[in-house]
Amino acid sequence: MAANPAAVMSCGACGPSCRQTLNEGVWTNNPVAVQMLGVCSALAVTSRLENSIVMGMALIFVAAMSNLFVSLLRNATPRRIRMIAEVTIIATFVIVFDQLLKAFYPEMSESLGPYVGLIITNCIIMGRAEAFAMQNPPAISVVDGIANGIGYAAVLILIGAAREVLGSGELLGRTVLSPDWYTGNLVMILAPGAFIALGFLIALANHIKPPQTEASK
Amino acid sequence: MKGDTYTIFYATTLGVVCSLLLAGVSAVCMPYINANREARKGRSILDALGMPVDDKLSARDVLAAFDEHKVAKAEFGGMEIYIYESSGGPLTAVPFQGQGLWGPIKGFIALEPDRTTIRGVTFYEQQETPGLGGEIGTPDFRQRFRGRKIQAGDTSPGIRIIRGGGATGVNEVDAITGATMTCEKVELMINNAIRTILKEGMENGS
Amino acid sequence: METSPLLILFAAIFTNNILLASFLGMCSFLACSQQIETAIGLGAAVTFVMTCTSVINYLIYYGILVEGAPLVAADLTFMSFIVFIAVIAAFVQFVEMFIERFSPKLYYALGIFLPLITVNCAILGASLFMVIRSYTLGQSLGFGFGGGIGWALAIVLMAGLRKKMNYSNVPAPFRGVAIIMVVTGVMAMVFMGFVGMVQIQ
Repeated sequence: MAANPAAVMSCGACGPSCRQTLNEGVWTNNPVAVQMLGVCSALAVTSRLENSIVMGMALIFVAAMSNLFVSLLRNATPRRIRMIAEVTIIATFVIVFDQLLKAFYPEMSESLGPYVGLIITNCIIMGRAEAFAMQNPPAISVVDGIANGIGYAAVLILIGAAREVLGSGELLGRTVLSPDWYTGNLVMILAPGAFIALGFLIALANHIKPPQTEASK
Repeated sequence: MKGDTYTIFYATTLGVVCSLLLAGVSAVCMPYINANREARKGRSILDALGMPVDDKLSARDVLAAFDEHKVAKAEFGGMEIYIYESSGGPLTAVPFQGQGLWGPIKGFIALEPDRTTIRGVTFYEQQETPGLGGEIGTPDFRQRFRGRKIQAGDTSPGIRIIRGGGATGVNEVDAITGATMTCEKVELMINNAIRTILKEGMENGS
Repeated sequence: METSPLLILFAAIFTNNILLASFLGMCSFLACSQQIETAIGLGAAVTFVMTCTSVINYLIYYGILVEGAPLVAADLTFMSFIVFIAVIAAFVQFVEMFIERFSPKLYYALGIFLPLITVNCAILGASLFMVIRSYTLGQSLGFGFGGGIGWALAIVLMAGLRKKMNYSNVPAPFRGVAIIMVVTGVMAMVFMGFVGMVQIQ
């Protein structure tokens, strides 16, 4: 059984399970680098750091909220329509975020385009809802959602920063590598740059923490 | 216990609750979304007329700027145009739209008081390929229209976007390299608007 | 004077490949590109589903969801994500039942992949792009079909490359997903070379 809800809820003294879940979501079990899930939306918006940050926030929000509600309803949901129910809940929160974005940050909504909507099919969010929220109490599920969201956002931000700096010499719109001596590498801004940046990032992560092989598991 | 009826009940309730939540959020956001859309158009109009507003300005302020500058809306040949009484005479902003390569393109073309010289061109909606067709939104491309005429002499109405550089005529503009189709479509939609301007202009004698 | 559906179809396959340029459909792409046969099967299934759902979603969007549509006057576009994914899920379910009934061999070959298609970003993405770009019915059909074929092309190419990579000496940190990402990046660059092929710009 998962951690004692009471102990977890007194998050002033964040119980060990809470910290462990947080740690797992962000680092040891980082969604993109380790589980290799949900790369789609990741790459498309990372041409600029600002976009990556907003997308990261979207993911944290949707992951946390959908995990919360999937967990709250976990005992009431019939097995047969489990996945449909999860998708519906996820889709609802994605739409909420999308509407709020369109209303209060329209230029960003333009830049992100369809990729906000595509969070619905994001394997990480679906995966966590199915694998974690369906089995665990709400409080810890929210933590897991937030943790995975942060892990994903961190990857997006790293790639976004790399692409923007290498591709246009700017960071958050401010010139970092002066055009006097640095010619922006167009490839980094276009699609291939995203793939390559992600590949190198994963390789870096693997180098720092070699993946568990069958023997050591 | 978790029988079919329960499944249906659950599914319906979930559906209804989610729809209500979304309808609520949508109702709250819709006024802002609409205001943003109007402001987008408004920014474009003001920019074309030569009075660009700060990017950071909120939607409400953009619409207020309209009142401040007393930009009037008028009907003209079935189009909704915008007139600004500047010190030199009335400047008109005429909308144009059409199908671009990847999606609809909308913009405004602003004319000087003589109704033939172009004051500015803006695009406020376009889906063209970034770096190629998408360049139509850049100041560099829009700048090429400034000072051009909407027709050469009395004979050929409309502008021409010339491929490969070498645009010399008063109604000619250099195309964007590598964005031929986008430029063709833009030329088409602007000329549609120009045709209406000229036609109405001649009939009304203004 | 709209862009011809055929042009959109070619673009979706080559110059604006739905996976290599628009990043859609990566999950299944990574998971299922080990065997060429699997890749072909999955690619075909995705193409079929994408084509059909693009058209169905077009009809639903312009028939029901937009403001002033023939069936419901109110602006229901905020429901589009949910409706699209529901249509896709239902359609895949239907296809699964169909395949199971008429070709058990194919059904066993595809196995788990069919439900995977439902959450394939590319399929939902095709519908979303159709809305954003205001495609007509013909264009949606061209885009759905081309997108599917483009995706299938990418995954089959990757399967072939992976087979060859089994014999390469990949540095340890890159083994697994990392090197695949880099290879995909190079493939994307290659596809960028198609830009001059069709007079698309």
